Amino acid sequence: MLCRKLERVAYFFLDGTLDAKQKRIFSKHLKLCPECEQRTTIHRRIRIFLKKRLARLVAPARLKQRLTRSLRAFAD
Amino acid sequence: MKSAEAYEHEQGWDFEKAAMPYVDSLYNTAYRMTRNSEDAEDLVQETYLKAYKYYDKFEEGTNFKAWLFKIMKNTFINNYRKKKLTPHKIDFSEIEESYERVIQKNAPDLIKDPESEIFQDMMDEDVKRALDSLPHDYKMVVLLADIEGFSYKEIAEILDCPVGTVMSRLYRGRKMLERTLLEYARKYGYIRGQAEPAKMRSRKDETKGRKKKEQPEEEESETQEPEENEEEMLFADEEDADLEIEPEEEETEEFRIE
Repeated sequence: MLCRKLERVAYFFLDGTLDAKQKRIFSKHLKLCPECEQRTTIHRRIRIFLKKRLARLVAPARLKQRLTRSLRAFAD
Repeated sequence: MKSAEAYEHEQGWDFEKAAMPYVDSLYNTAYRMTRNSEDAEDLVQETYLKAYKYYDKFEEGTNFKAWLFKIMKNTFINNYRKKKLTPHKIDFSEIEESYERVIQKNAPDLIKDPESEIFQDMMDEDVKRALDSLPHDYKMVVLLADIEGFSYKEIAEILDCPVGTVMSRLYRGRKMLERTLLEYARKYGYIRGQAEPAKMRSRKDETKGRKKKEQPEEEESETQEPEENEEEMLFADEEDADLEIEPEEEETEEFRIE
């Protein structure tokens, strides 16, 4: 029961949004439960993976030029 | 006193200076929303022109990046989703069950090489496909939280929904995305190696997982170590309630976590 409840807040633990008491309970449980520790590690690793892979796109230079031109044309 | 033209000109430069640093973030999210570069560029362009037009409505001291994202979200809905899509019917219990199947089988392999990327050989195209498999509303919260780093409250403002809904969608969206990535990883061989069979137990038996090494597994659920009693005390009903979420009820403020 405890593992299941903690699994439901594991993402929020990684977000750093659990309150101090919840965070303390969660952290303590991770030290005691290999399965929850393993799952939390996997969640963390997948999040890092996604951020790296999905943040790669940058706006094309032509878009930046287009925006600058448009904004200055509006301002003038 | 400045002329109206001079003021407007100054405001334009001020806006450009404030807004241009966010163009990559907006474009990245626009691309994930529209799924092609041409529409993404148009969406960002329209967002910037609208934001410029309403710049005087922006409240100083609030999050400018979030304000731009909110304009982009509204523009996207108006332009690209005029034909309202039928809300996705998701059997989330089925998703959780399939997640359990794949995670229990592969967890040891997923943590055994912590220095490298978890799915280092996965093609970007597969990552994109996994993201695109999410219903739009779930995809948006995951992108805004995990790629752009917005807080739950900021996402709630961008999407015009309660914080509880943001958290519920985050939970479900992340779970669905992980499930899909894990399935691709297994299907296409991105999970390498044959680690020791998982020590993991079924989550359904809900037993405590401690003292594994000292105890035969079949006795585990029956054994109550002194520390477990202590832990049970920590998770008395009141504390359980603190940690409880009800993902089935999406549109309510079910989360007590801020």
